[in-house]
Amino acid sequence: MEVSVMGSSQVKIGRSDLAYRDVGFCNFSSNNLNAKIFARNSKICFGQTIKCPPKSSIQFTLKASAAAQSEAVVSDKVSGNTRSNTIDGVRLYVGLPLETVSDCKTINHARAIAAGLKALKLLGVDGVELPVWWGIAEKESMGKYEWSGYLAVAEMVQKVGLKLHVSLCFHAAKEPKIPLPEWVSRIGELDSSIFFTDRSGQHYKECLSLAVDDLPVLDGKTPIQVYKEFCESFKASFSPFMGSTITGISIGLGPDGELRYPSHHHPAKGNNSHGVGEFQCYDKNILSCLKQHAETFGNPLWGLAGPHDAPNYDQLSISNTFFKENGGSWEIPYGDFFLSWYSSQLILHGDRLLSLAASTFNDSPITVSGKVPLMHSWYRTRSHPSELTAGFYNTVNRDGYEAVVKMFSRNSCKMILPGMDLSDEHQTNESFSSPESLLAQITTACRKNGVGVSGQNSLVSGAPMGFEKIKKNLLSENAVMDLFTYQRMGAYFFSPEHFPSFTEFIRSLNQPKLHSDDLPVDEKEAVDSLPAKDLHMQTA
Amino acid sequence: MSTVAMEPILRHSHRKTAKIRINSGKIPPSSLNYTLRPLSNGKSFCNFRPHKPPLAITLRASSVSDTAVVETSKSADVFYEETFPVKRTEKVEGKISIGLESLKDKEDWRLTVGCNLPGKWILHWGVHYVGEVGSEWDQPPIEMRPPGSISIKDYAIETPLEKSSTSLEGDTFHKVKIDFNTKSSIAAINFVLKDEETGAWYQHRGRDFKVPLIDYPRDDDNMVGAKKGFGIWPGALGPLSNMLLKSEVPHSTGEDSSSYSREPNQQNRCLERFYEECSIVKEALVDNLLSVSVRRCQQTSKNLVYIETNVPGDVVVHWGVCKDESKKWEIPAEPYPAGTTVFKKKALRTLLQRKDGGHGSWGLFTLDEELVGFLFVLKLNENTWLNSMGNDFYIPLSNSSFLHTQLRQIQSEGQGQKGISKGEESGTPISGEGGEGNQAVSIYTEEIINEIRNLVSDISSETSRHTQSKEAQESILQEIEKLAAEAYSIFRSSIPTFSEEAILEAEVLKPPVIISSGTGSGFEILCQGFNWESNKSGRWYKELYEKAEKLSSLGFTVVWLPPPTESVSPEGYMPTDLYNLNSRYGSFDELKVLVSKFHEVGIKVLGDVVLNHRCAQFKNQNGVWNVFGGRLNWDDRAIVADDPHFQGRGNKSSGDNFHAAPNIDHSQEFVRRDLKEWLYWLRKEIGYDGWRLDFVRGFWGGYVKDYLDASEPYFALGEYWDSLSYTYGEMDHNQDAHRQRIIDWINATNGTAGAFDVTTKGILHSALERCEYWRLSDQKGKPPGVVGWWPSRAVTFIENHDTGSTQGHWRFPGGKEMQGYAYILTHPGTPTVFYDHIFSHYESEISQLISVRNRNKIQCRSTVQITKAERDVYAAMIDEKVAVKIGPGYYEPPNDSQKWSLAVEGNDYKVWEAS
Repeated sequence: MEVSVMGSSQVKIGRSDLAYRDVGFCNFSSNNLNAKIFARNSKICFGQTIKCPPKSSIQFTLKASAAAQSEAVVSDKVSGNTRSNTIDGVRLYVGLPLETVSDCKTINHARAIAAGLKALKLLGVDGVELPVWWGIAEKESMGKYEWSGYLAVAEMVQKVGLKLHVSLCFHAAKEPKIPLPEWVSRIGELDSSIFFTDRSGQHYKECLSLAVDDLPVLDGKTPIQVYKEFCESFKASFSPFMGSTITGISIGLGPDGELRYPSHHHPAKGNNSHGVGEFQCYDKNILSCLKQHAETFGNPLWGLAGPHDAPNYDQLSISNTFFKENGGSWEIPYGDFFLSWYSSQLILHGDRLLSLAASTFNDSPITVSGKVPLMHSWYRTRSHPSELTAGFYNTVNRDGYEAVVKMFSRNSCKMILPGMDLSDEHQTNESFSSPESLLAQITTACRKNGVGVSGQNSLVSGAPMGFEKIKKNLLSENAVMDLFTYQRMGAYFFSPEHFPSFTEFIRSLNQPKLHSDDLPVDEKEAVDSLPAKDLHMQTA
Repeated sequence: MSTVAMEPILRHSHRKTAKIRINSGKIPPSSLNYTLRPLSNGKSFCNFRPHKPPLAITLRASSVSDTAVVETSKSADVFYEETFPVKRTEKVEGKISIGLESLKDKEDWRLTVGCNLPGKWILHWGVHYVGEVGSEWDQPPIEMRPPGSISIKDYAIETPLEKSSTSLEGDTFHKVKIDFNTKSSIAAINFVLKDEETGAWYQHRGRDFKVPLIDYPRDDDNMVGAKKGFGIWPGALGPLSNMLLKSEVPHSTGEDSSSYSREPNQQNRCLERFYEECSIVKEALVDNLLSVSVRRCQQTSKNLVYIETNVPGDVVVHWGVCKDESKKWEIPAEPYPAGTTVFKKKALRTLLQRKDGGHGSWGLFTLDEELVGFLFVLKLNENTWLNSMGNDFYIPLSNSSFLHTQLRQIQSEGQGQKGISKGEESGTPISGEGGEGNQAVSIYTEEIINEIRNLVSDISSETSRHTQSKEAQESILQEIEKLAAEAYSIFRSSIPTFSEEAILEAEVLKPPVIISSGTGSGFEILCQGFNWESNKSGRWYKELYEKAEKLSSLGFTVVWLPPPTESVSPEGYMPTDLYNLNSRYGSFDELKVLVSKFHEVGIKVLGDVVLNHRCAQFKNQNGVWNVFGGRLNWDDRAIVADDPHFQGRGNKSSGDNFHAAPNIDHSQEFVRRDLKEWLYWLRKEIGYDGWRLDFVRGFWGGYVKDYLDASEPYFALGEYWDSLSYTYGEMDHNQDAHRQRIIDWINATNGTAGAFDVTTKGILHSALERCEYWRLSDQKGKPPGVVGWWPSRAVTFIENHDTGSTQGHWRFPGGKEMQGYAYILTHPGTPTVFYDHIFSHYESEISQLISVRNRNKIQCRSTVQITKAERDVYAAMIDEKVAVKIGPGYYEPPNDSQKWSLAVEGNDYKVWEAS
């Protein structure tokens, strides 16, 4: 359908250039005609679309002052596509409460959510995000799935006419308390090596260690197999919604669903919450992997443990010698050896899960995403210790995100990035933090590799000027985002302290910010690869 | 290329979808309705009829957009063609079945409750233990609870009914089984049935269903299975008893099923199996289609309007034409289609012809080409009209006026506060209260969602739609606000740390009978029991005590007492310590005595509570008075931040500021908690039955809802007083914006409170003072005040302590007070009479008017039909039982159908009763 429109419009444009000028089509310059017209066109026609042919077609005809042909084309398009509310530009989603479904059969606060969904719909929000927990849907025993609560939510969402993005959560949550499946916890009690472990031997029990991905630790099955079956059961159970209501899923990649090591899980002591974190390479499986790697590398002594001179969770980067600004161990060959291995393990893990998800859902018309954290503390030091302990080998000397983004690109997955609400000026000085620069680094890599980005905000209670920042990020010239998910619905979300500003935010996004004539003329790159960035035709 | 559908007008697919819906007769599940409380007043509980027409609307939202496609025809002569989805209410009858049977063991029994209507049925139940006197609702023992049960507080269980597709027609049947043992000393099982989708509760004869088991005195008429030998369970009893009983079984909703002799001494009776069915009626909205096309006939140069619909039954088109853009109804020249009748010289009525094959009907109207538009509404029967979003259908008849802005969503039920137009048919009620409260909100939301859809698609024509979208946007925002407030209250109420919410939550979850809506019974007549001078004597409570019996005998049912708290100003409106109830009106004890006296004589008492502001008792270090004393010793965090005088540290005010005192910041949790506690205390300690809320313009109505939910008043009303609109010193005829602001406030409270109808007072001023009685009818022939839009929430008055008394801020036209009372005491809404007027020479006239009102059972929801609204006379008929005229002009009610006799007469007013 779209092709036909594009085709005939093109012909028309060629013929009556002047007429289109009025509508704002005037900016196409040279070599790049086709792509541009398409992009522009999508603003005018597809962006508004739908459902009211006499009006839209008449209107179009008047403006274009063109012959009957174009009228026919448009109404054809319209009558064939009566429903799509999809507007080019950034789609806006809101996360449902984490505990929307907490005992598999019932929806918590169903009435509140129903009212909330309606409010969101009226506001013009496109969809909602629903966390689906491993520990709830496959709670009792392996392979015994209970989707009814989640199905009921999907039905509610469908009825209101919203879209749904489902986050498959293979981790546990502390607040609200959502554990891993009971049967997994039982296994973990007997064999704690399935969990991440730090230098002092403490386990992180909210998700499985990436080192056991392919080990048959779960009653003879590997976690990857279990995840895969979970995804398949999900897909089968939700098939009526796939592609219609459910437009995307994201697959949990680690702690809090993010692709990282749980390097910062230790509760901060005292005032200092900006510690560098710790390496999590001390469970027996990952240690044996390290050992093997060191032997292959030809330096078996390097494979006995993690770095001995790394600081503790809460310590600053200057403590101890590993992350020292100048001459720290991170810059010596051992450091490079270790960090390369440590980060590659994470990428391999991400690859396993994303390809699992991609292959499971490749015949469903939905997008698959994974979430990457924004480890922005210490970004302004040379060694970026927070990122290193979390598994991103990103320092002043090396771009650690290129490889991650390529892995996403390989699996045709989209990347979810939090922190759209964070700005540098509100970070404390001593943390050397820079969320903005880090975000820019990652999004640049994404743009380069054609990986789409979905944004999220980080702070539940709202960063200072958070909405301003989000807006800036969404509207930014270089934005690669086509979806933003605001976290998250709940009491605070609807409170008089918060909801009015959220409404204001949405409304300000919906107001056309720029007339199409005011858009910069030369944005070849963006138009080429990302027709979706035409924000001024926002979500209706 | 483009799919052009010319004839038949309905594309096949349209027809098909519609048919499917109707034939199946099923109500699509709608889980998204906006229901805050299951029901708001007990009296609508009779016989299983759901309180409000429930719903099914929600599902539509998505499908409507599919069917509402309007096709452009490229043909030259058909220049208008549109298909409107039409919703109308249809009642679906079903059955609730209750069966009791014994299992293998003599002591093990099973109660089965079923329902054959689609829905998300929940059994809300509890048990009554043997020997327990106080509580009829207790939690059953654990072993009795079927899987999936949820306990509700400590007195009830909610168990979903499971779907079992049994019956022959493929209808789904829902049922739940409860097994119990007779040893568990349960005297009775109580339950109500709840439809989670619609929020409607279904009861038995207005009370809980009650299944007596052992030791239960069986003298309640809401029992089921109380009759001995009531079993027609196959094989249970002999065929004879079966036959005997059968006739009685099917509809036990009838007059009386307890013809059976009552034997209170029937102790330790054995349990017997029984099976009983009760009919249940659920109202659902059904979608139909209406399509209209206009064609130009080239030979005759006339326009042919073709109307086709698949609404079953007789459909009458009530129509007219307009000759210019004003949309004024006029009757065209003849000829009319066959069978057309002229209605009151203002409109035409044409019965549509049935289509062959039964489904639907059609009509063809030939109109001259110079006519600009074709206006119509559909009439299904006396009480059911279909219009277009509260407006008449308007079909443009010329090509030029093509950019019409029809909203294609049609509602057959009243839109509550939004007003209803049906052409010239102002008097006929469209199911007056159908749109009230929750239901209205729910339908309303659907409309808005559809509206948004339309807006999205209509962006293209900026100019013509600019204003409309703005209005729509505003109403959308209001709706969003309401929904958010609801979501907020539910989410918040379940945060465990906020234990103060327990009251609120309990209130929401209690069985529906107990819930009071804050809007009384509808028959209230208020008396403002003080004036601006009442504080002077220092013993007002005692003085009023002497008058209680008199007020009662005059017919008042509610009295509004002055603000009771300690106050900076003697009149009480500048409160300081809220818990100190010694005021210039009298002492705490005197107040209590007064309240109980009123209760004795059958009058409810409203407390005047000032929540907007509060005077501080102490200065802060800067010398600013912003530190409070007494039990609620708040500091500057309780004061809004946007009034510089008081250096508040709270948030910005959620309403207008009252500048004479620190405005309280209701967004603070601790403030709300303290106020709720205070109101609750007033209810309990003093015995107030409800509230008159002072200056509610000052803070968000959503907070008021919070307070009312917590204090559960019998009646509550807010003072939302702002200025009417004037142009060059002359009051505008149309005060819709003014009344809309009051309605908005009521809406923000979620309809839990009424409000003073300041609009009506203002319009009465102009009408009476300047002899402009035409003002008393709005453009749609309804009363022009709040009472015309939301009568059950409008509290009408003509004077109070501020407007009149010794202040006289906005005094009612002198000497014309009785005309004002003749109006408000005969009209819907809840009338309030000012103290000064009662104890004056008006007393006997007022008393007569009140007795006319009571005698004819006129209440806040009565219907009013305006029969005359001219320069010097206004006349109306209320409930077709009372006629009233005010103004010097002449009017007599027509004596054709009814005989009228004069009941009260005074200076420029007359009231008649039908005899």
